[in-house]
Amino acid sequence: MDDIMIRAKDLSMMFNLGIDKGFSLKQGFVDLFDPKKKKDKSKNNFWALQDVSFEVKRGEVIGLVGCNGAGKSTLLKIVAGVYKATKGSIEIYGNVCPMIELGAGFDMDLSASENVYLNGAVMGYPEAFIRSKYQEIVDFSELHDFMDVPVKNFSSGMTARLAFSVATVVDPEILIVDEILSVGDAAFQSKSEQKMLSMINGGTTVLYVSHSVESIMKLCTGVIWLDHGHVVKMGQPEEVCREYLASIGQTI
Amino acid sequence: MRSIRNIILSLKKYGFLIKQLVSRDFKVKYKRSVLGVAWSLLYPVLMMSVMAIIFSNVFKFSVPGVNYLVYLLTGLTYFNYFSEASNLSMSSIIANFGLINKVYIPKYIFPLTKCLFIGINFLLTLIPLYVVIFATGTGVNIYHLLLPYSFLCLFMFTVGMGFLLAAVAVFLRDMLYIYGIVLSLWTYLTPIMYDISMLQNPFFETVLKLNPLYQYINFARTIILYKHCPTAGQFIACFVSAALVLLLGTVVFKKNQDKFVYYI
Repeated sequence: MDDIMIRAKDLSMMFNLGIDKGFSLKQGFVDLFDPKKKKDKSKNNFWALQDVSFEVKRGEVIGLVGCNGAGKSTLLKIVAGVYKATKGSIEIYGNVCPMIELGAGFDMDLSASENVYLNGAVMGYPEAFIRSKYQEIVDFSELHDFMDVPVKNFSSGMTARLAFSVATVVDPEILIVDEILSVGDAAFQSKSEQKMLSMINGGTTVLYVSHSVESIMKLCTGVIWLDHGHVVKMGQPEEVCREYLASIGQTI
Repeated sequence: MRSIRNIILSLKKYGFLIKQLVSRDFKVKYKRSVLGVAWSLLYPVLMMSVMAIIFSNVFKFSVPGVNYLVYLLTGLTYFNYFSEASNLSMSSIIANFGLINKVYIPKYIFPLTKCLFIGINFLLTLIPLYVVIFATGTGVNIYHLLLPYSFLCLFMFTVGMGFLLAAVAVFLRDMLYIYGIVLSLWTYLTPIMYDISMLQNPFFETVLKLNPLYQYINFARTIILYKHCPTAGQFIACFVSAALVLLLGTVVFKKNQDKFVYYI
């Protein structure tokens, strides 16, 4: 029982697509005279996830596959604590490092070195830790000459490299990865892939979303296939991936 | 008790983030201005000078028995803190949507950070206030050591209002505009440039005394201008109003925070 890291039970997540970014008095008044609007309301409910249950044990690398809108990112965000599930429960044992969107919390006006600290703080690292790892982050990103430049003057590749370097400096117990291996140029890509591999081999539990079935088969020990919020199949990578590809008309 | 322990643990864990966010606000605010951080001292000084000139020289306001300039500046310092910090707190959740939607950060951190950031500005504006206190010959006394009590109450009240406004503004964007009007009304309903006794209407006096900001400003004026120790009643009124609003704001914020992501 000890080695279970994530236990999700009957997770359901509902979004109301009808929410028009807040309610305004004008709209409320208009809606009063629009009888159709009221009836339509429940139609706007969109279930991004429905009754998803799974368990992840320590050291497992779980890949999530599925088409766009299948609920993969929603699931990752629930695990990361960004969303709270509408129904069901999730238990997480261990510290989570979410690499869902790199560079969350970068302030474009601040210099790269200031952003390392800010982004580190956003990711929840302690101050002394960032201080001690600062050089490592700079070395990994290879941006030595640009640390005093405001990030708004960076190219998108440079920003991504910096973000990746900050995000991966920790040794988290649970790593959540949403398709970020493809940052930077070819050289940096292979370097970042190496880094990910070494984190995975170091015994980290990983939830990994990718559209590249190839990399899922290479990295994962288990695969969950989601479609329209439902779990279609869970199991061995090769078996699930083959069926997934078959369903979208491709072969391995 | 457990929730208080949780709050302290969480503050300890996120203390570094709060520090980083406050320092970001500082750095970004004065980026590319020639005078830089000096503005946080200069700006209130100049603003207060304008108010002082208008009210004491043009309108010839005065409050019997005390130095009007000190009277006015005390009120302004307190009120400006409240209006700036509560305003920034209100929009802090909306402004930081990019973060809230990507990483888990306790959402109370954003309004709290704004209140702390403006709090530093508030402490800086105490410098010109004390310069005026000495320059006008008002002088200081031992009771000045009690002033931090009113700072704390003002801070608690502002954080409470900030939580409340931030939560409401997420669901009702109109609040961003409504509050601007409310604030300007509030400015006149707080005895900043006039004395409450000038109204000569016992009913209005009672109503204005229900304004928590009046309590904090009055506490400060009792010490700075009238040079005696605030009464027990003043101590209690300050704390109770601040604690109630902080509690209300925290409850409303906590109850709604999980829904924020759908509305911003």
